[in-house]
Amino acid sequence: MTEIRAPRRHPTPRTPGAVMSLYRLMLTSQVTRTRVIGLSALGLVSVFVGFAIGHAHLHDALRQGTRFINGFGLSLLVPVATLVFASASLGDPNEDGTLVYLWLRPVARAKIVAAAALASFTVTWPIVTIPLVISAALTGGGRSLVVGTVAGVTVSMVAYIGLFVALGLRVKRATVWGLLYIFVWEGFVATGNNTASRLAVRTYARSVLSHITGETFRVTDIASPWRWLVPVAVALVALAYATRRLSRQDVA
Amino acid sequence: MTTIEPMIEVDGVSKWFGDLVAVSDISFEVGPGVTALLGPNGAGKSTILRMLCGLTGPARGTVRVLGGDPRRDLGLARHIGLVPQQEVTFETLTAFEFVRLAAVLHGLGHPDGAAALALGVVELDPADRRPTSTYSKGMRQRVKVAQAIVHQPHVIVLDEPLTGLDPRQRLHMINLFQRLGEDGRCVIVSSHVLDEVERFGSRVLVMVQGRLAAEGDFHAIRELMDDRPHRVRVRSDRPRVLATALLDAEAALAVRLEGADTVIVDTDQVARFRRCVAAAAQRSDAHLWEVTPLDDDLESVFRYLVGR
Repeated sequence: MTEIRAPRRHPTPRTPGAVMSLYRLMLTSQVTRTRVIGLSALGLVSVFVGFAIGHAHLHDALRQGTRFINGFGLSLLVPVATLVFASASLGDPNEDGTLVYLWLRPVARAKIVAAAALASFTVTWPIVTIPLVISAALTGGGRSLVVGTVAGVTVSMVAYIGLFVALGLRVKRATVWGLLYIFVWEGFVATGNNTASRLAVRTYARSVLSHITGETFRVTDIASPWRWLVPVAVALVALAYATRRLSRQDVA
Repeated sequence: MTTIEPMIEVDGVSKWFGDLVAVSDISFEVGPGVTALLGPNGAGKSTILRMLCGLTGPARGTVRVLGGDPRRDLGLARHIGLVPQQEVTFETLTAFEFVRLAAVLHGLGHPDGAAALALGVVELDPADRRPTSTYSKGMRQRVKVAQAIVHQPHVIVLDEPLTGLDPRQRLHMINLFQRLGEDGRCVIVSSHVLDEVERFGSRVLVMVQGRLAAEGDFHAIRELMDDRPHRVRVRSDRPRVLATALLDAEAALAVRLEGADTVIVDTDQVARFRRCVAAAAQRSDAHLWEVTPLDDDLESVFRYLVGR
């Protein structure tokens, strides 16, 4: 029998190389013209509304601005944009069959999932944050509203990315399921009572925004460490689930 | 005498998807060299190949590749190369980027060089800047082969790898697979085209309806296939006389008249029948209008092997 020589490999695992390559791949795969244009248009709407609020010379600009960022930014733009990119990061390769080219490599599943989450954050954060920050500034709500917007967007996006990366792996037509979650659960059921509202990412983002701007909402408020910690914990648990799922699922 | 260890061991493997039994109680071993997995579409070939790569697990039985469980042993992926059946690749990447990605993920020391080498082996230009989405089906197939061999795996699994290739590239790929096999690698190639498998000149596993219908040397299987009873439709202006002549010439096992001009002939000696039919028609003063094999398609061959 002919001796088979193995090709030369690096003596230590090339973690940065593998993760960075996966990250770059997922970044380029997620950024499609349709997605970017569609979501940028949605962001542009927030800029126009912010401009309108600012030019209405309202005496409670901070309050109106905070309400708008909560109602449009944190409740619509952030979850929808994150859903579109994050669910596609592993969902698209899972559905089109290219996942096999990542799966059948000696790369820890956690690294694949981490690359997907990181790429989703890289794409989504500027598309969402930039127009919302401009909008917040235009409302005349001041520095606290801008800072609150950045913090609220970032906190909720972290949680949503975890949830939607996992959702993309778990179900087909993840966008539909994700929209149902956003509009039915978070937008409707979770507004019904305090217990349910604590099971909605939006509640924590709103709490962060409220805490920084000083503007209160009538609905549930979350105490200080939890409004920051729970979204991160949600993301970690969801990404752990996605890793487990990726390790055990059948690959086409 | 040296015993060659099997590189792939499949033992009592079954797999079903809901009510559909994709693979039923299959056992075989594969060593170095080229082994062809032959069977019609839907026979369970892809399911077996996916199990060999750990992409899906068996519902029952065990699959061992190089002594390990491909479903659980992540490190085994270093030694397996797969050309999957699906045509799609990462469409935004060039062929070089795609193959280089595979090299990087396999932790190769010089991914650029390895990718260029693998693309050269399949006769693709590493400097081509076009994304693979613009490639023809045949070119994509070659890119898929390049990413499967870039890390020089010990076990190479190819699911219908010749689909979409032109005749010259087919020959090139067949030669490549044979070279890899001669190099001591375990190359397992699936196909539903008998002639394709013939050109591998290899050991064959025949799968039909999720079962292993036959296994062994290709020529033995081919003989088995040729020796099976064949059914031929002959149309003539004198079918009754012609049928009698074929029976007299011992070229037919049985004949059946259909309509005014057709005789259905059952024979287990196809070559003899071919030689005799024209002569019998001449002797009978009959005009031959049509001689059509009714069961020469691969499905019939496979059905015969299953029912044998």
